[in-house]
Amino acid sequence: MSRPDILDKSLLDAPLMEARDLVQTYQVRQGFLRRAELHAVRGVSFTLHGGETLAVVGESGCGKSTLARMLTLVEPPSSGTLSVGGHDAANPDRQTMAALRRDVQMVFQNPYGSLNPRKRIGTILEEPLVINTSTPADERRRMAQDMLARVGLRPEHYDRYPHMFSGGQRQRIAVARALMLRPRVLVLDEPVSALDVSVQAQVLNLLNDLQEEFGLAYLFISHDLSVVRHVADNVMVMYLGRPVEVGSREALFETPRHPYTQALLSATPSVNPDEQRHRIALSGELPSPLSPPSGCAFHRRCPHARPECADRRPELREVGGAQVACHFAEELMVARESGAA
Amino acid sequence: MALLDIEQLSVSFDTDEGTFPAVSDLSLTLEEGEVLGIVGESGSGKSVTMLAMMGLLPFNARVKASRFHFAGQDMQTLSDRARRRLTGNDIAMIFQEPSTSLNPSFTIGFQLLEAIKAHEGGGRRQRRERAIELLDQVGIPAPAKRLSDYPHQLSGGMNQRVMIAMAIACNPRLLIADEPTTALDVTIQAQILDLLLRLQEERGMGMILITHDMGVVAGAAKRVAVMYAGQLMETGTSHDVFREPAHPYTGALLNALPERHPGTTRLPTIPGVVPGINDRPQGCLFHPRCAHAQKDCRASRPALEAIHAETGLGTRHVRCYHPLNEEVLEIAP
Repeated sequence: MSRPDILDKSLLDAPLMEARDLVQTYQVRQGFLRRAELHAVRGVSFTLHGGETLAVVGESGCGKSTLARMLTLVEPPSSGTLSVGGHDAANPDRQTMAALRRDVQMVFQNPYGSLNPRKRIGTILEEPLVINTSTPADERRRMAQDMLARVGLRPEHYDRYPHMFSGGQRQRIAVARALMLRPRVLVLDEPVSALDVSVQAQVLNLLNDLQEEFGLAYLFISHDLSVVRHVADNVMVMYLGRPVEVGSREALFETPRHPYTQALLSATPSVNPDEQRHRIALSGELPSPLSPPSGCAFHRRCPHARPECADRRPELREVGGAQVACHFAEELMVARESGAA
Repeated sequence: MALLDIEQLSVSFDTDEGTFPAVSDLSLTLEEGEVLGIVGESGSGKSVTMLAMMGLLPFNARVKASRFHFAGQDMQTLSDRARRRLTGNDIAMIFQEPSTSLNPSFTIGFQLLEAIKAHEGGGRRQRRERAIELLDQVGIPAPAKRLSDYPHQLSGGMNQRVMIAMAIACNPRLLIADEPTTALDVTIQAQILDLLLRLQEERGMGMILITHDMGVVAGAAKRVAVMYAGQLMETGTSHDVFREPAHPYTGALLNALPERHPGTTRLPTIPGVVPGINDRPQGCLFHPRCAHAQKDCRASRPALEAIHAETGLGTRHVRCYHPLNEEVLEIAP
């Protein structure tokens, strides 16, 4: 193994990835000479250790994908700090950048779009090695075949093309490709949402095995809360570019504090006939990040909104063991508990 | 009389590799004003069944049925023209991807007015008023202004509302919704489902909801049909089927859901894959993947048979020689 240090116990204790107040702002054109600033992500902070999974939950336009682009070092953040394995990843020099990129790899949502249909599986798997390392060809081939076996595919699949595989198998290939450089952090962008239920379970099991085997840290982006509940250690719920609730899986699913989290949880369909719980219907659409509402971004759709919410933006603060950005989190928690009792 | 009455429908495709049976021996009934959910994984034949009903299958498809009645009319003997009029007026369909179902080069208003013109006629002003009324009914704010918008100016949820407006424009008696919420965000999905169910109830439409998401069906449909490899494996009330699945496939599907296994790291899976054109097994189509398969499952294909009679919503049917009972279901992974 070229990098045995991944399994070093002392390194596992230090955070693999640390983000503080990440901000991403884009300049967009709105017609002739009109420029506007689009705040795609504002104020995201987290710490991710080896073997841990942080799930990022949110709907379209909440900044999940922008966050993924920053974490995979595709785009530097507009401001804020990001460190990977203790190195500065927000403004690295070229050499550090190249090294850090190997540490953070990504798996995309659609395995039909993320594998080049004209390349054989072997070529796809070896490509990261060709670009980033000087591993000799026979060694690359051996590593690719090893990795195929690890993700539950057969060595003869090495010479096949992507169209010969089912969706679940393709996602295994995408995971295998991401692991070829022995990264420490995997950013998984909706990795199972394009898959059927039975296949989804297989891929989730595989991800779980690989995490244990390699001590990987996962940043798991998903909108499916039942999947998040299954995989996550910690969860960050985002709305319009800002985290509105961050906490452990237990804290978030047992007692959701933010009205948006509560609405999301209640909107997730369940097959359990006894659990057809009361749905909190959210009216209205997701607002545009180009013209975010004043005060709390959620106030126009929030069933508990008060005049104050339109004036003042709530900061993320500690409420009963989790962080939440809502002026009335305590009151809502009390009301919820007495309502449930 | 049932609104829709299908018996032994089979659809097969002629391909270079031979004939592929996409749907076989499918029998379904739907009453006026009833909501039926059809669940199944990719390739189970749920969409093909509906396209056959609409007559929208490509030329290499062969459709056969011993009975294929809609609203008392035999769809198999109708002329193409009469059939088109029937499916156009009385059956409407909405699809998964609202943004690709709408034509990006025309305004919402143009596309909606086109549908109204084709089916209702009426004067220009009248049609416009009707379009505004329809958009209002599906919950689009400021409908008169939206008429001149293009699909890309609206969100996915709003586009799906436009699709629904077009579908209900000619007051159909049956609405087929093929994965209507799959491409939408969770909170928007809830809104669209509520809208569909409200319209269905107000208008007394029959509705067939096709989806791979069993949670969606459990919340929306009273009756559910589970499909696998082109066959109905189990039908019954969604309450019964999801609480106490009788077919091992239904059981295994439900068991693979993460929500059924709080606090565990490994999920039970279904080994193997859905059979393709060349590897359809003898006997029960599910037996190679079934944990309960026995000798007779490999020998012959079971028929869809009624098991213990249920409440007023129709009986329960299952295609299995060895249906699951409660004790088997209790055995968790």
